[in-house]
Amino acid sequence: MLKFVVRRVLWTIPIILLVIFMTFWMMREIKGSPFRKSERAVPAAVLANLNRKFGLDKPWYVQYGKYVKDVATLDLGPSLVLRNQDVNDIVKEHFPVSAQLGGLAMLLAILVGIPIGIISALRANKLTDYIAMLFANLGFAIPSFLVATLLIYEFAAQLRWFPTNGWDTASSKVLPVIALSLGPMTYFARIVRGQMLETLQQDYVRTAKAKGLRWKRVVVVHVLRNSLIPAVTAAGPLLGFLVTGSFIIENIFAIPGIGRYYVISVSGRDYSTVMGITVLLAILVIVANMIVDILYGFLDPRTRDART
Amino acid sequence: MRKPRFAWPLGLVAVLFLALVAAGCGGGGSSGSNNNATTTGGSAGSASGGTIRIAIGSEPPSLDPGLATDTTSAFVVLNTNVPIVYLGPAPDLKPEPALATSWDTSGKTVTLHLRKDVKWTNGDPVTSADVVYSWLRTISPQLGADYAYQFYGIQGAQEYNSCKPSAANQQCDTLKNKVGISAPDKYTVKVELTSPQPWFLQQLSHTSFIPVNKTAVDKYGAKWTEPGHIVTDGPFMLKQWKHDASLMLVKNPDYYDASSVKLQTVKLNIIPDGSTAEQAFNAGNVDVNETGWPPSDTPSIKNTPAYQQFPSLGIYYYGFNVKVITDPNQRKAMALAIDRKTIVDHITQTGQVPATNLSPAGIPGASTINSDKFLKPTADMTLAKQYMAKVSNPVKSINLIFNNAPGHKEIATAIQAQWKQLGINVTLKQMDWPQFLKFLGPPPDASVGVYRNGWIADFPDDINFLSIFQCGSGNNNTNWCNKQYDNLLKQATAEQDQQKRYDLYQQAEALLTGKNGDMPIAPIYWYTFAYQVAQNVHGWNTNPMDEIDLRTVSIG
Repeated sequence: MLKFVVRRVLWTIPIILLVIFMTFWMMREIKGSPFRKSERAVPAAVLANLNRKFGLDKPWYVQYGKYVKDVATLDLGPSLVLRNQDVNDIVKEHFPVSAQLGGLAMLLAILVGIPIGIISALRANKLTDYIAMLFANLGFAIPSFLVATLLIYEFAAQLRWFPTNGWDTASSKVLPVIALSLGPMTYFARIVRGQMLETLQQDYVRTAKAKGLRWKRVVVVHVLRNSLIPAVTAAGPLLGFLVTGSFIIENIFAIPGIGRYYVISVSGRDYSTVMGITVLLAILVIVANMIVDILYGFLDPRTRDART
Repeated sequence: MRKPRFAWPLGLVAVLFLALVAAGCGGGGSSGSNNNATTTGGSAGSASGGTIRIAIGSEPPSLDPGLATDTTSAFVVLNTNVPIVYLGPAPDLKPEPALATSWDTSGKTVTLHLRKDVKWTNGDPVTSADVVYSWLRTISPQLGADYAYQFYGIQGAQEYNSCKPSAANQQCDTLKNKVGISAPDKYTVKVELTSPQPWFLQQLSHTSFIPVNKTAVDKYGAKWTEPGHIVTDGPFMLKQWKHDASLMLVKNPDYYDASSVKLQTVKLNIIPDGSTAEQAFNAGNVDVNETGWPPSDTPSIKNTPAYQQFPSLGIYYYGFNVKVITDPNQRKAMALAIDRKTIVDHITQTGQVPATNLSPAGIPGASTINSDKFLKPTADMTLAKQYMAKVSNPVKSINLIFNNAPGHKEIATAIQAQWKQLGINVTLKQMDWPQFLKFLGPPPDASVGVYRNGWIADFPDDINFLSIFQCGSGNNNTNWCNKQYDNLLKQATAEQDQQKRYDLYQQAEALLTGKNGDMPIAPIYWYTFAYQVAQNVHGWNTNPMDEIDLRTVSIG
């Protein structure tokens, strides 16, 4: 197990280098300048000063080399657009907000989505199942910005139970977490249901039942355990995706998370910010996937044997 | 035996939950540790005791007067500092005393006499040395200030800004010493201009001329604008700044005119989404919605007492690439065929004014400057077709480029239909901003026939608009270059007599949009600024430069 983890950790280094290179190359390819923000032309002298100040006048390999060195020393450099902030500040201040939002949404999605999937599988083709699947399909189909806007309108502007925006009080977190969790929640419900139905048909389930085991125990020990593997597979990247911030939800609820910065810095060509957040996102997805692989081992001992 | 088998899903949930709690606790100020920041409890009612809550659309990118370029930053900078001069009421927008109590102009020399009772929030007096230091700092090539070019009218400023600093910094130092800014005594600033610029005093109202505190800048470097570090001298002070969430300003008791400032606290909530900002206003979570709202809600908002609208010195226009659409008659036909009134009534809908000229209706001297009213608010299709008939080789297939901000596409679609009536097929090309700029030039890409653009004044003098279309101007994307036009502007620069200057502007304007002009552009509308302002907010005002001055605002 330890060997497996160490190998995976070492593998992340070339992956991160590749991510930096790809991002660097793509940001250069889409052209544009972080210093041209409005209709106004920037005089050549001013542009030259800005390029010099942020090292953009150097050849690309020098910029790339410097960037790799900066990442290695955990100094992501100054933002090219927010002139009084470093990318380190931006990440430190805003990533925890996104991580909390994404983490809470993931938790809610699991706590509600998986039971819905289990119940509808056990009551397959009955009214409960239909209602649950109607919810799951609707929740999956309705875009989160619409859900968010409706939640704000109904529960913040009309009923005034929650604030319309912000992320500083417990009550301000309720609506955005619900809005963000709805998609993954219904996704979990659907995969768990599908896999459960398949597992219920398996021979070993029939055997377990034939052995005279209590149905509850059959479900929990045999069916559930084998049905959750696809959900866990999906959960890894999904968690990585959720905790790095949702531009739409953060934008609508005015939440100071990292997701908004990511999108704004791409369109604003804020190279250092894009790079910093991409590296962070890459590390998170890699770590999340690693955790999933480790969890597999517990769920399905066969995969564990194959690895060690 | 049984229990451990049950334990793992619960364990997973527990681990996740603990991780979250840990993340939440480490979330530096942004988590549950309630310090009574942003809007809580919508039904708590409107704020009282001189606290105003304003929804703004973005995080201010910089509160450094030398680096701020956008209106959100300028809003905070202007209300936490004392500008060199304030602008008086529209339409004249004359300079009024602020940090400078009076001034003398003699040819190319401007002398500013500063107030003696302005204090930095650290207790030090604001002196002419602060002004000289700050201006030279902004001009310096090392700072990399976007608005360094605001200073180019000062002798030696452009040369200093253009020098390339190296290890042996000699050349830059020499150039720095040659910049025409000096402090003959503690409260006098002397400025040598490159030419007599009658608008220079109005230009001094711009936030980029606001002095910064050297002690704070030296001590904290780029981080000097953070709360606790920042030193300012204006009506309000920055108390708290939760990046991307909110800013809190409190009244500065040592401001020289503190007795006239009514608000105690200004709470700026950053709400980027227009729909959320509108709901926050409707729920009573903010007193002023400065962010805006979805365009589709404009008709209903306009009918509420909260709706307030102010004219702007800004224009939305289409530029022609005159190397593609070469015949002025075709350009005139196209400009005449645009139904501006329909666009402002049915698409933009926030009281924009159909633009019949480049120079905005609110610019000082507009009645003289815009006397050639060849273009009308509505389409003149008959006349347009007559002009089109004069074109020997009409260009019938044209690309129209615009950036992907809201509203541009709807306007482009309307104009596409109007130009169709002239037999012109327009292909709409929507682009993201950096890509749009690449096609825009100057010079524009050869595939571009027409482009969308706009301009908001830096200072209230028409030279700021007319000089866009000088030959070789970085903002002239039309390929149009007219020596006569450039000459008129050159004469105007030297003309001290206001009326004569307006006459020269009029001739220049006529070359652009007049009957006998070249029509390198088609003006569409002049901007307005619109807000939702609660009934208990008094004195809310935005001048045509989009400057919101909170000194006169009160609540309750």
